[in-house]
Amino acid sequence: MAAINIPAKSRTEFGKGASRRLRAESRVPAVVYGHGSEPVHLHVPGHELMMALKNSNALIELQVEGGDNQLVLPKAVQRDVLKGFLEHVDFLVVKRGEKVTVEAPIHVEGELASGPNLLEHVLNTLPIEAEATHIPESVTVSVEGLAAGDAVQAKDITLPEGVSLAIEGDDVVLQVVAAQAEEAPAEEAEEAAAEGEEAAEA
Amino acid sequence: MLIPRRVKHRKQHHPKRTGMAKGGTELAFGEYGIQALTAAYVTNRQIEAARIAITRHIRRGGKVWINIYPDRPLTKKPAETRMGSGKGSPEWWVANVKPGRVMFELSFPNEKVAKEALLRASHKLPMKCRIVRREAGES
Repeated sequence: MAAINIPAKSRTEFGKGASRRLRAESRVPAVVYGHGSEPVHLHVPGHELMMALKNSNALIELQVEGGDNQLVLPKAVQRDVLKGFLEHVDFLVVKRGEKVTVEAPIHVEGELASGPNLLEHVLNTLPIEAEATHIPESVTVSVEGLAAGDAVQAKDITLPEGVSLAIEGDDVVLQVVAAQAEEAPAEEAEEAAAEGEEAAEA
Repeated sequence: MLIPRRVKHRKQHHPKRTGMAKGGTELAFGEYGIQALTAAYVTNRQIEAARIAITRHIRRGGKVWINIYPDRPLTKKPAETRMGSGKGSPEWWVANVKPGRVMFELSFPNEKVAKEALLRASHKLPMKCRIVRREAGES
């Protein structure tokens, strides 16, 4: 995946007041670190960064005003919990050709075996090791014909060329479980509720 | 009904309702969830009612996770009593839910049924809620 260019400016004032002023101007405070270098505090345009972060593990080339361009990966993204706008981003410096460990989203394809089966994601993302410039957008896992009790281990997943697992091969990634039993009849449920009340009073 | 088995202190101060949820703001287990948009005390009865609403609607073939636990007691003085004479007796067990918290999660193969089940559950809860689903691929 090609790097996404985003212009960046260095920050001169810090703290929540300064950060809030930046956010009011639709800019996002950020920090860049890695490879033993001193952390660099920047701010980047909010909309461009938001669009870039729609891709998983987006490789970004920060064009720092009055400085060198830096190739980075988003390391930690802080968002507003309700509105989802970006509050702060940590960028990790990477080099071309360098192997990095990232979490790739798992894309499931295929239909489970017929019956009361339910797919459970034990891992939501798969830790992989890949070249910084060749990180796959997602990892595809086929669950065709799996039934309750079956599981997909990390070693069962076919990874793209040049990508290796960053976890043990025996780790379970997906498992198929039997669907939950039907709700107990109303009378039993009421009895259970009454028992619960007694316990609280005791 | 969810009730703590043993507590260190029977009566507590009212929990603070300010601020936003610090964690548990994203789906961790299921495909769909109910996220709180305002702060509220959710009683164990409300949690149970919401759980029943979900399980009765989906019947079979799904899995439900409850991410909140009513571990805070609220007390109440009896009606027509004069002030004083100590704190009232524990009356409710509540979970202190802040905005952003994902309270229930559900895995179910049919999206329409899953969303309807969660909508029914949200009507049992004392705050504004929204139904969220897992978004794949965002950093």
